Amino acid sequence: MATADVAVVGAGLAGLTAAIRLAEAGARVHVLAAGHATTHWAPGGIDLGALPDSRTSQEAIDRLAMVPGHPYGVLAAELPAALAWLRAVLAREGFELEGAPGDPLRAIPTAIGATRLAALLPAGMAGALPAWAPDETLVVCGPAGFRDFWPEAIAGALRRPSSWRGQTPPGRIEAVSVELPGLAGRRNLSSLDLARLFDDPAWRRAALEGIARAVAARSRAPGRVALPAILGLNDHPAALAAAREILPLLPFEVALAPPSVPGLRLYAVLRGALRRHGGRLQVGEAVHGTIDAAGRVAELRAPAAAREFVLSAGAVVLATGGIAGGGIVADGPATLREEVLGLPVDGPPAGNWLSDDALSPAGHPLETAGIRTDRHLRPVAPAGSTADGRPIAENVRVAGSLLAGQRYLRERCGDGVALASGVLAARKLAGVAR
Amino acid sequence: MTIADIVAQASAPGQPRSVGLSADECLKCNVCTTACPVARVTDLFPGPKYSGPQAQRFRLGSELAPGSGRLSVVPSPDRSVDYCSGCGFCTTACPADVKIAEMNNRARGALRSGRRPRLRDWLLGQTDLTGRLGGLTEPLANWGLHNRLVRVLIDRILRIDRRAPLPRFARRSFRSRLGRHWRGRWSANAPAPATSVVYFHGCAANYYEPEVGQAAIDVLERNGFTVIVPPQVCCGLPLISNGLYAPARGRARSNIAVLAGYARAGYRIVGTSTSCTHTLKAEYREMLDIDDADARMVAEATWDICELLVDLHAQGRLDTRFGALDRTLPYHAPCQLRSHGIGLPALDLFELVPGLRAIDLDHDCCGIAGTYGLKSEKYEIAMAVGKPLFERIRAGGAEQVACDSETCRWQIAAATGARLRHPVELLAEAYDAYLAAEP
Ligand SMILES: Cc1cc2nc3c(=O)[nH]c(=O)nc-3n(C[C@H](O)[C@H](O)[C@H](O)COP(=O)(O)OP(=O)(O)OC[C@H]3O[C@@H](n4cnc5c(N)ncnc54)[C@H](O)[C@@H]3O)c2cc1C
Ligand code: SF4
Ligand code: SF4
Repeated sequence: MATADVAVVGAGLAGLTAAIRLAEAGARVHVLAAGHATTHWAPGGIDLGALPDSRTSQEAIDRLAMVPGHPYGVLAAELPAALAWLRAVLAREGFELEGAPGDPLRAIPTAIGATRLAALLPAGMAGALPAWAPDETLVVCGPAGFRDFWPEAIAGALRRPSSWRGQTPPGRIEAVSVELPGLAGRRNLSSLDLARLFDDPAWRRAALEGIARAVAARSRAPGRVALPAILGLNDHPAALAAAREILPLLPFEVALAPPSVPGLRLYAVLRGALRRHGGRLQVGEAVHGTIDAAGRVAELRAPAAAREFVLSAGAVVLATGGIAGGGIVADGPATLREEVLGLPVDGPPAGNWLSDDALSPAGHPLETAGIRTDRHLRPVAPAGSTADGRPIAENVRVAGSLLAGQRYLRERCGDGVALASGVLAARKLAGVAR
Repeated sequence: MTIADIVAQASAPGQPRSVGLSADECLKCNVCTTACPVARVTDLFPGPKYSGPQAQRFRLGSELAPGSGRLSVVPSPDRSVDYCSGCGFCTTACPADVKIAEMNNRARGALRSGRRPRLRDWLLGQTDLTGRLGGLTEPLANWGLHNRLVRVLIDRILRIDRRAPLPRFARRSFRSRLGRHWRGRWSANAPAPATSVVYFHGCAANYYEPEVGQAAIDVLERNGFTVIVPPQVCCGLPLISNGLYAPARGRARSNIAVLAGYARAGYRIVGTSTSCTHTLKAEYREMLDIDDADARMVAEATWDICELLVDLHAQGRLDTRFGALDRTLPYHAPCQLRSHGIGLPALDLFELVPGLRAIDLDHDCCGIAGTYGLKSEKYEIAMAVGKPLFERIRAGGAEQVACDSETCRWQIAAATGARLRHPVELLAEAYDAYLAAEP
């Protein structure tokens, strides 16, 4: 049996935020996660909120905070400080988040030639944020033979004005593929392989010079270059600086299909910060626990080789990510189950789960499934029960996409909720040092 | 039996999940690929998603041997799976619980089955034999294994890389040094289970690093245990990871035959090699399909030594009178330890030693992965996998580095020149330091 002051379940943005904050405050923190989180899948921006008709993230946040039961009702107030904290953690490793919640939401090109709305992006992607001037050229440029980024197809789709969500598109859109040095015979190139190559100073200089020539042949300033998000994995700040120096136009990275290189960079920074503060992180542990008669969770268990791994802790942060993260599972066609503690799940009524379009703009019904909490993020008894709204696990805090009342994909608030709830959960548990 | 029957049977509640069928859970998210140290450094291996769940679709067909009801794996659609080192990071990273590393290992086993094994692979699996021969012919054997010319010949003939880290045989094996310890099978006369533990030393402590075995005994005795050292053979892991399942089953059976007697009588079995203990805990069942009551008893009774000591501590039973060891100690957690799913117990123990500043090196794999990095065609891959780790250790300048697994210790020592120690050696030293400081 291992011991910790606080056990954090889930290694996504919510869990890691809570864990680092607690470790910073001197608690012995142990993170257990079944696997890697949506950090490895999601596009890599920090989405605080975007509704189809909201001009800024702040506007979306304010509106969502008014929706009864939405996590932002409690969390919106936490967001500014949480964001400042994240910026500082990233800055320590040379990463910058550009943009602010009050900035206009901008249409950002994606790897399928559509756009998505964003206001807060890592520096590598942030070149896409400023409004396009009518005389600007967008050059979509990718490595020849890379299957996750097809410049011609992307440019073709982006040339349709309807792709730009009513915003002014660039005046001209060009596409170019570039042979990168030494890759001719290589098959199966993944975004990871390419990003690692960009970590090598000599290789990236040669590659960027090749890209610069190809881009210059297509366009002169003013303009920008869209590159796949492969500008370095372990040494992204240096790779980005080199790209900005060598390329004739301002470069920006475009998120790709999973695995997400920008997400991996974020994960590496958070993981490093946790380790620096003495926190532990154990991936590969699908945990479960029980609420005892006193309304507490005293220990968590995970199947391990031959025996269960047992972690005894004074408090628990549950950040298992809801239906997308694996924290909530559909058990047959009528039951939604919370995996770790068997908490009551607030979700769509049975029979209303199937949707023809998983990516429909209206969101998927199961996206709303989550755990209802009080203002202190403690899980509460289900509506309609006699104890309705009263906390059912005193030393448990729920954070991130597991929180009920949000549609994290449709409202694009997943990262903001994860961040703010991680910070709040940690504050609520400060002082549980055993 | 229809496909539906087999699927229903394999997914029935309470049934350990079939390694092969777990491919069905794959989301194609590629998270495993981000975690694979081998795919990171070479194009020869397409990575866990391709070699695991993707390739598995082609393997499953003939799994359905008519009427057998057994799921076994047929050869892989391509041979690149042989470049999987078996480190297991893919399996821990996967959000969908796909047993990727295990799938790859079985695919390798299927590639090998029915063929005569390569002499090299066979030899690497014979750790008992080589250990005994080496011990008998030491110092000649040590001279040979560290002589350049001999190594060039071995490289040419056997394809064991001339640069690969091979250990030195101990002059006297651990077992031959044992004194008063109970060394037989279980009998009613054996020391009582409540105050004794059974020590599985494995080949490394027996033939190469008897000091690790001695440290384990010292630490266990210091905590009031009588240490039993029953007859044992190699756990079989070197055979398993070389795809030689049939002889591995033989090793497994003879270990289980002895250890089950103890497990049934309520003893805990403790090991200093995270690979041996993981083999006893999981691989006999997952890889070798040995899933009888005895095997399960043995698995459940087996503990990694640091895991056991942390458990004692949680119960307030660990002697925490450690003397000071004033040093910075980088620590590398071996892959096999992570597959245990028990966290990093060595770090918990180091926290109890005054003055000891342990640093988690937080690097996935040193590259060696058992015998993988010894092979000529894989040596450079293994060194590239471990490179960031080696650089971190060299840059830190620490004289000593701790690591729970022997082959990793040898690899890291060869690559960095540092002195590599098992955590239990440091604990033994800290106990000694306490005694020395006692007035
Ligand atoms: C493909 C994809 C794209 C997305 N894109 C966006 C986007 O563009 N914008 C946006 O706002 N949101 C997006 N999201 C939503 C995203 O999930 C949230 O934004 C947010 O990052 C969630 O963070 P989290 O920490 O709450 O949970 P997650 O990141 O989901 O992490 C959950 C963690 O819990 C672990 N876990 C689950 N069950 C268990 C268990 N039983 N035991 C132990 N560990 C467990 C998981 O292994 C994982 O580590 C996307 C989600 C997906 C899946
Ligand atoms: S991580 Fe798991 S689910 Fe994702 S691609 Fe790999 S095996 Fe499939
Ligand atoms: S076991 Fe290790 S080497 Fe093999 S596929 Fe998985 S992560 Fe890669």
